[in-house]
Amino acid sequence: MKKVSLLISILVLFSMLLAACAPATEAPAAEQPAAEQPAAEQPAAEQPAAEQPVATGKTVLNVWSFTNEIMTMAVAFEKSHPDVDVVYTMIPMTNGEYQTKLMATLGTADVPDVVALEAAFVKSYVESDFLADLGDLLPYAKEMEVYPFVTDVGTHEGVIKAYAYQATPGAVFYRRSLAKEYFGTDDPAEMQEILGDMDKFVAAAEVVKEKSDGNTYMVASNGDFMNLFYANREQPWVVDDTLTVDPMVNKMVETVKIFRDNGYEARATQWQEGWFAGMNDTLTDAAGNPKKIFSYFLPTWGLPYVLAPNATSADGTSTTVGDWAVITGPLPYQWGGTWLGVMKDSKKMDLAKEFIRFCTLDEENLTNWATGVYTNEYLKEIDPSVPEGQYQAAGDFVGSQVVVRKITSSFDDSEMSKFLGGQNSYGGFAEAAPSVSARLFQGSDDAIQRALNDPLNSYLEGTIDLDEMWSLWKDAVRNEFPDLIIP
Amino acid sequence: MVHNKIRRINHGYLFVAPFIIGFLLFGLYPVYNTLSLSFTDATLMKVDSNFIGLKNFERLFQDKTFLTAVTNTWELWIMNFIPQLGIAMLLAVWFTDVRLKIKAGGVWRMLFYMPNLLMPAAIAALYFSLFSYYGPVNQFLVRSNLIPEAIDFLRNKEITRAIVVFIQWWMWYGQTTILLMAAMTSISISLYEAAVIDGANSWKMFRYITLPLIKPVMIYILVTSLVGGMQMFDIPMLLTDGRGSPANAILTNNIMMYMRFRSSQGHIGAASTIGVMIFIMTTFVALLIFYLLREKHDDFKGKSG
Amino acid sequence: MIKNYRISTNILRFFIYLFLAVLLIITLLPVWLLLVNATRSTLEIQQGISLLPSQYTLSNYKILLSKGLDLPRGFLNSLTIAAATTVITVYFSMLTAYGIVGYEFKGKKFLYNSILVLVMIPMQLSIIGFYQYMSRFGLTDNYLSLILPSVASAGAVFFFKQYLESIMIQDLIDAGRIDGASELGIFHRIMFPIAVPGAFTLGIFTFVASWNNFFNAYILITSRQKYTLPMLVQTLRGDVYRHEYGAIYLGLAASVIPIIIIYFLFSRYIVNGISMGAVKE
Repeated sequence: MKKVSLLISILVLFSMLLAACAPATEAPAAEQPAAEQPAAEQPAAEQPAAEQPVATGKTVLNVWSFTNEIMTMAVAFEKSHPDVDVVYTMIPMTNGEYQTKLMATLGTADVPDVVALEAAFVKSYVESDFLADLGDLLPYAKEMEVYPFVTDVGTHEGVIKAYAYQATPGAVFYRRSLAKEYFGTDDPAEMQEILGDMDKFVAAAEVVKEKSDGNTYMVASNGDFMNLFYANREQPWVVDDTLTVDPMVNKMVETVKIFRDNGYEARATQWQEGWFAGMNDTLTDAAGNPKKIFSYFLPTWGLPYVLAPNATSADGTSTTVGDWAVITGPLPYQWGGTWLGVMKDSKKMDLAKEFIRFCTLDEENLTNWATGVYTNEYLKEIDPSVPEGQYQAAGDFVGSQVVVRKITSSFDDSEMSKFLGGQNSYGGFAEAAPSVSARLFQGSDDAIQRALNDPLNSYLEGTIDLDEMWSLWKDAVRNEFPDLIIP
Repeated sequence: MVHNKIRRINHGYLFVAPFIIGFLLFGLYPVYNTLSLSFTDATLMKVDSNFIGLKNFERLFQDKTFLTAVTNTWELWIMNFIPQLGIAMLLAVWFTDVRLKIKAGGVWRMLFYMPNLLMPAAIAALYFSLFSYYGPVNQFLVRSNLIPEAIDFLRNKEITRAIVVFIQWWMWYGQTTILLMAAMTSISISLYEAAVIDGANSWKMFRYITLPLIKPVMIYILVTSLVGGMQMFDIPMLLTDGRGSPANAILTNNIMMYMRFRSSQGHIGAASTIGVMIFIMTTFVALLIFYLLREKHDDFKGKSG
Repeated sequence: MIKNYRISTNILRFFIYLFLAVLLIITLLPVWLLLVNATRSTLEIQQGISLLPSQYTLSNYKILLSKGLDLPRGFLNSLTIAAATTVITVYFSMLTAYGIVGYEFKGKKFLYNSILVLVMIPMQLSIIGFYQYMSRFGLTDNYLSLILPSVASAGAVFFFKQYLESIMIQDLIDAGRIDGASELGIFHRIMFPIAVPGAFTLGIFTFVASWNNFFNAYILITSRQKYTLPMLVQTLRGDVYRHEYGAIYLGLAASVIPIIIIYFLFSRYIVNGISMGAVKE
């Protein structure tokens, strides 16, 4: 018996040791993570704003997102709602961790109050039973004249469950100097004429290739085209539980094949080195010959987040700043965006709704957001523990037409217009946005479209034929949607 | 004496009790959960689910992608395991050979184990950028005139497979070497001395002394590598697009399972079915290994004292 | 005759060293590239590979800091989890394996076979079930949910079962019993010291696996101040539109270097332990 007790005591000892290592044992985790840690443990400067002790008796609102963007809004929210402590949790989307983790909390006590939902998976949540009805906020949306496609995405069977602060119409960015060289003009209006539909775009690609002796590619990757064509389908992917291929999809396959076979496309991969290198004119092929990229298909956020940060090379010797212009391009489309929803199980429904209203439908907040008011200093004044890199630069394209009209002219002489050789992109986007449609959005879109990438690449490589491509794709779709009827 | 024996029997239970308690507390539920889910149409985005019997399994067997995944998993494992074991065995024999006197065997072994210290995510990111179309491997090969123009390595089925096999080998041969060396160094030198006096050559000593004595460790290596191989996930998942591309070349069992699980609806029912199938397949093969390598030496071990 | 043998051994030795050198380059080159990339700027990395370090370490570190990444805390968190997991895994697995190898009891065969079967269960899937199960105990966002399951590490028990079988000295154990040592005392004072090399070997493997395991931690840990090192590094990649490759590689290097140091410190014990084991018969 003595030994039994010894063994048990060792076990107990171990668990105590471990409990000491993890100070959070007793506290119910999701409810008040901030309360768990003694104040002494907080290295002041490093802690994100939201994780202050709640000793002050503030109401805690749990917000989950996949970037640091919304943290800026959360800090601003705390300014106008001093009795609220927004606990902000950022979980990266890399390899789907955010989605996986969010799915794991569904139906448990750990579910957050407010969740950020990216374009790729917002619809599957909107279609599910897990998001709360946000119909109460519709009057505000009406008042702010939110672009219809933004609210369409957040609506399922007449019930609105998610709102967005952004609208993300797509566009074509092209190099002014190259346009002048090959087409004799760099004027956006004239270029829109030259690239105004898909046939013209293909013809222009041939001109670019010919006049550059094959040293300039029309686009960097075939991925650039995807959103464009998908956004212009007339039927959704799934009709009556059956997988449906819209003619636009066939047209997309045709087009990327033309671009690959004729060498109009640089064979780079989106979001990878070659794709970025083209933006600052440092792309070289494997033998060391310099290559140029004429245009990129990017949405509103592509300018501040992708194109501008990558427009100057490491050594600073090569830059394309000021050499860009933006047009609607061959077809209107939309790409990406972040929506916000409230979990049905949230116990702070009113506060959560107020947070959504503030982030997505509040005129002052959206104006501040888009015009660069939320600088690091501004945020630090509200909460000194905000990290250095946290701020919102001017230029995000917001979803409210009221705000867009109000602030468009403020970009006439901004950093962004200098980048675009004097062009005010905000105005351009404002023109393009109303023609974007999101009626066809479905929860399964992202998975179905992703499934096509790999077979399509094999087809472009010439290792499989068109029929094999479709059948590989259907296998992949079947893999993810066991209940779908696949003809 | 009888009393003593009973005491000892009880102690057997005591020694294994923490494991059993730990398993009952933490391990049993997830296993049970997986098994029961495999008979349902449960998804993560739905509150309710229905019992659908063996329908998931029927669908899986009709799905030729599953066959591809199983074949791929086996190929990728075997292709990396054979050179892994071969090179590890060679290194272990050299480092433990008293006549060769390889200097600083411990240091070599330590360095060869290094790749295993890196995170799979880091490794995959590194190899991806090395072999991308505009990457350094292409630059090197074209500029030194080894190939006429750049190759899209990661869109080529065979090359992508070869890269996965290489990474797996690179990550694990060091660990296998350590295990083999641990086993070989504990073999008494006197056995080899006796063999040298009897005029045995190196191969004979390896075949008749080393190999039989390191068998328990060999079984361990074989079985854990098999289990790891059947669940191969990180590298093929992170190297390309997480879907086993190009053209399903590196689609493994676990990637297929994970894809179902991560689909926009989160089909955990269908995913569990694959999990159960992987489990059945692995268990069957592992038991086969035990059966084939089973020997009388299990009997004399206990009585050696 | 003897001279001939020596020459051939020398030639053999030359080729062995050559082989080892080539293998070493293949093995370490990618590791080296990873470390070099930590000193290079994002755009340098995008432009190609270099074997020589550059001078952007500091600016990369500043980027890390500006993102609010508390690497020392992440390091401490990872260390806590990995150390606790390693100690528990090694101790309890050896205990279990010793119970199986050293004692006869009813159901032993069944237990051992069940353990073998447990080794083969794919774990990626059950993590969701595990999360929801832990949630019921309020153990999510808590290290206990990562550490305690290692009490029942089937793979480690399997390792020690195989290992103890090959090093077990029944005479010593019997002698201990005659001296009146308790059964647990025999395990602690006789069996454990003999098994130290194995404990270190498995300990290192467990430590590395736990240090690098970020999938489970990702699912189970939510609050930023409890993030492990790999999780912190991954948050950098969360900003998909702003790839700070230099900073990411610095973060990776920062998470790799401690484990390399720890490994170098402890692998000495394996070497000693193994020669110790070789003395016994």
